[in-house]
Amino acid sequence: MEHVIEVNHLRKSFGSHEVLKDVHFTADKGEVTCIIGASGSGKSTLLRCINLLEIPDGGEVLFHGENIQSGKFSLPQYHARVGMVFQQFNLFNNLTVLKNCMLGQMKVLGRSAQESEQNAMRFLEKVGMAQYIHAKPKQLSGGQKQRVAIARALAMDPEVLLFDEPTSALDPEMVGEVLSVMQDLARTGLTMLVVTHEMGFAREVAHDVVFMDDGVITERGAPEQVLLHPQTPRLKEFLAKVL
Amino acid sequence: MPTTFFGWVGYLLDQYGSLFLRGTGTTLLIAIVGTILGFLLGLLVAIVRSIELDPRASGFKRALLKVAQAILGVYIEVFRGTPMIVQATVIFYGAQQVFNIRMPQMFAAIFVISINTGAYMAEIIRGGIISIDKGQTEAAHSIGLTHWQTMVSVVLPQAIRNIMPSIGNEFVINIKDSSVLNVISVTELFFQGKSAAGTYYRYFEAYFIVAVIYLCLTFTVTRILRFIERKMDGPDSYTVLGSTNDSHANFTVRKEG
Repeated sequence: MEHVIEVNHLRKSFGSHEVLKDVHFTADKGEVTCIIGASGSGKSTLLRCINLLEIPDGGEVLFHGENIQSGKFSLPQYHARVGMVFQQFNLFNNLTVLKNCMLGQMKVLGRSAQESEQNAMRFLEKVGMAQYIHAKPKQLSGGQKQRVAIARALAMDPEVLLFDEPTSALDPEMVGEVLSVMQDLARTGLTMLVVTHEMGFAREVAHDVVFMDDGVITERGAPEQVLLHPQTPRLKEFLAKVL
Repeated sequence: MPTTFFGWVGYLLDQYGSLFLRGTGTTLLIAIVGTILGFLLGLLVAIVRSIELDPRASGFKRALLKVAQAILGVYIEVFRGTPMIVQATVIFYGAQQVFNIRMPQMFAAIFVISINTGAYMAEIIRGGIISIDKGQTEAAHSIGLTHWQTMVSVVLPQAIRNIMPSIGNEFVINIKDSSVLNVISVTELFFQGKSAAGTYYRYFEAYFIVAVIYLCLTFTVTRILRFIERKMDGPDSYTVLGSTNDSHANFTVRKEG
């Protein structure tokens, strides 16, 4: 089976600090992969390198077998097909909920205003935010913002969605609403890479769980295997702290 | 001839009312056009100075950008580092002596004010751009917007809203500081006041009138700018469409505070 995303020998340093050391990783179509690990282990950096928000220092990221850093590869088109949901939501503060979900469709995909609006409404309904289309981001709660951010990413009809700790900045009572939206998405066959500390979500939804430790992937497998039968002492230690 | 202070004020207004009025008009025109052109110039300079090249860009592009950014840096240093009165004389008389170009006064006035304002605006706008959370740019890039699209649709609208008070400041400063352009004989308000004062040697009364007019201008402009700021913020409220029980029900939520 062809890998949607394949990461080979990925390296990234910030100054003298090596955050990613030779990371290998693949994601297959329709699979949900949860990336777990302690803070500073390189999880978010891996996700940001896949989306080129950080430029890798070495190695390669392949999208359907094509190197995303090669000169002829169209980055806007790549970004349209690989969406990202951020820990801090990052909704466009100057635009309403509806406009947030329309901007990329119109500017990047060249859709008409009408088509963009219909499509945006479809996903806003899906995440339960259709009632708030005229609100500005600062008027919404964290959980609402994150649901809009998910709708914004979905409105681009992506093949892959990257989630960078989507619930870490939320008040506890809002975590559930976002996770349940993500759970619904997982069932639609969307390829998802989720950096998370929500072990319950990883166990129930993920096809694959990846444990990162100090810049490398040390364990990978089905959730039961990784979460219930950890092999390395580091993972055992980590799970003992979070579970 | 009048004998009291206010008598003279009234007399000068009566005699030179249209002179003061024309001077006020010229001052306003120079200040408005100069601020707008200066803003556009500053916008351009700030955008070029904030470009971060794609690491795949060629060495030539890189060098070109470096040179452009260096030139713009010099422009800002020079025009922020010298008084406008000196800039006006150097440009106006310089063009005349060295290039044999005799600029019309109005043109020279707007030219000087625009490039002077542009230098300040460039730094104000750059500050506005920097103040916008990096997450906004990252989110825009993550859905495929280019640097330019991100600037126009996401960053600049927020940056410009944030720097509106500073832009207003520049406008008020331009209303007042355009008075130094009297050194190149621009018939703005101060120049006209000087003419009115000279005839009867009533300097105090004439400049008093000038001062009051300047104050009225700046006071009004400040109020108008506040109003524009509030307009830019958009409505405080939004309507929630439908409720869980009744899909036709709408209610309006007001912003706190």
